[in-house]
Amino acid sequence: MSGRRATIERQPIENRLSHWLVAIATFGLIVSGMAQMPMAQRYKIAEVPGLAWTADFHFTLSLHYYAAALLLFAVAYHVAYALFARRFAILPRRGDFKESAQIISAMLGRGEEPPSHKYLAEQRLAYAFIGGSTLLVLASGLVKVAKNLDGVLIDGGILWFATLVHNISAMLVIVGVVGHFAAFLFKANRALLPAMMHGRVDREYAAERHSLWYAELEESDRAA
Amino acid sequence: MTEMNRREFLARSVLGGMAATATLATPAPAFAASAGAKGTLIDLSLCEGCGACVSACSAKNADRYPEPVDDIPVNWPTGKYEDWSDMREATDRLTPYNWIYVEQVEVDGTRVSVPRRCMHCDNPACANLCPFGAQEKTVDGAVVIDHEACLGGAKCRSVCPWSIPQRQAGVGVYMDLAPGLLGGGVMYKCDMCADLVANGGQPACTATCPTGAMRFGDLDEIRITAQARAAEIGGFVYGAEENGGTSTIYVSPVPFDEIDAQIAKRRGAMPEPPRVGVPHMAGVAEHYLDETKDLASTFALAPVLGMAAAGVAAAKAFKKGETR
Repeated sequence: MSGRRATIERQPIENRLSHWLVAIATFGLIVSGMAQMPMAQRYKIAEVPGLAWTADFHFTLSLHYYAAALLLFAVAYHVAYALFARRFAILPRRGDFKESAQIISAMLGRGEEPPSHKYLAEQRLAYAFIGGSTLLVLASGLVKVAKNLDGVLIDGGILWFATLVHNISAMLVIVGVVGHFAAFLFKANRALLPAMMHGRVDREYAAERHSLWYAELEESDRAA
Repeated sequence: MTEMNRREFLARSVLGGMAATATLATPAPAFAASAGAKGTLIDLSLCEGCGACVSACSAKNADRYPEPVDDIPVNWPTGKYEDWSDMREATDRLTPYNWIYVEQVEVDGTRVSVPRRCMHCDNPACANLCPFGAQEKTVDGAVVIDHEACLGGAKCRSVCPWSIPQRQAGVGVYMDLAPGLLGGGVMYKCDMCADLVANGGQPACTATCPTGAMRFGDLDEIRITAQARAAEIGGFVYGAEENGGTSTIYVSPVPFDEIDAQIAKRRGAMPEPPRVGVPHMAGVAEHYLDETKDLASTFALAPVLGMAAAGVAAAKAFKKGETR
């Protein structure tokens, strides 16, 4: 294997772009969304030096809109790219729940980890959870945006429901983000961090932990 | 991009983009502007300040006034709460127990009586920005708070140019959640007697007004009548343009900024913030949601740009794969 690079490409620029745009937008939406609740004055957050703006609904609402536009762009880009380029490796598959349990057991030192494709079963499930929550929060948010437009009336019951969905799905997104960070408490997952920075992971790590994916890459390299 | 040829890829991209654009371009049919909005004309040249409107409002709504618990929880960490239950009889301002009052001012030696209550804005920031969807604007134009769903965060009061809704602590759904930690009560204000109006009636205040100073009708007609009346008496109009337009149109023989100057004196004498319950009569040129209106157009553009960028990126990836 001499002459081969010690790393292989895992996250091409398209994936990293989607990921970081969604991350930035989501962070902005969580902060500005919390400020809408309204909690800045209620919990004296606005009294903390430098945080007076959290009580300014005018400012935080505009921030929410800007961040939402960025999220819409990023999600459209991500979904359209996956469809156009047929990249579906991250979608959940049958048996992912069972396999996730095996992987987590293995990380805790019990049993062997099953061979994995590009994404571990738990990663595919985490993607579906965060992705699904994001779509819900986006859809319900668009109803709320429409309602803010001049001359648009929405039935009170529908509005109440859309607001409820928005608040609950936003909390699910926050849970998902916390879980996403928590994944890196496990040392076994940390080798993936560079992939979202410069796109590449350690070759040995890929061969060991994502053996099925690695085998596919080897196969296509041989074919080329 | 190994199993797809270029033609198939392009067709897929174009069709996907067209479908998405068509979806975005089609307005959702459930949303429609109200054509049947009602409004109130308040002619200050006819108001004698008798307070019949205040009594009528109270008689109509008394059974909806808050009945808080005896031991009202103190909000953490502010150490405050808003309680009006000991001042139920106060009729010189807006409170959770008084949804309309008559402001009495003197302008150049002339006494002017100004009935004050919710303006029922055309595009109400209070209802739109309620984080729990506890307020709505009805097809009749009434802005209504759902007392069962309100948590009393008072955001509606913060974003209302007139700070109309008033808070009562110790009552409402927050008492079943984490009182003291979450929420602060329930917000109360005039709801244009939405139940009466929905059945073809009119609000208690306008129905009771003995001098005809308060009149209720189709908003379009009310606006025309108000302008005509202002022209007739050489007076002034308030509420037609304020905050993007409201359903409560005042006509006055004296300028509103002079009335406002008198109200400001009273507000200034109030002990501490929030100095609410005595709404101003200054001009409100900008609508609270003006900026978001402009931003909303980017919501149609953003996904189109995202898909276009994805198309370009996928085409590049395809090319790279093809030449590899």
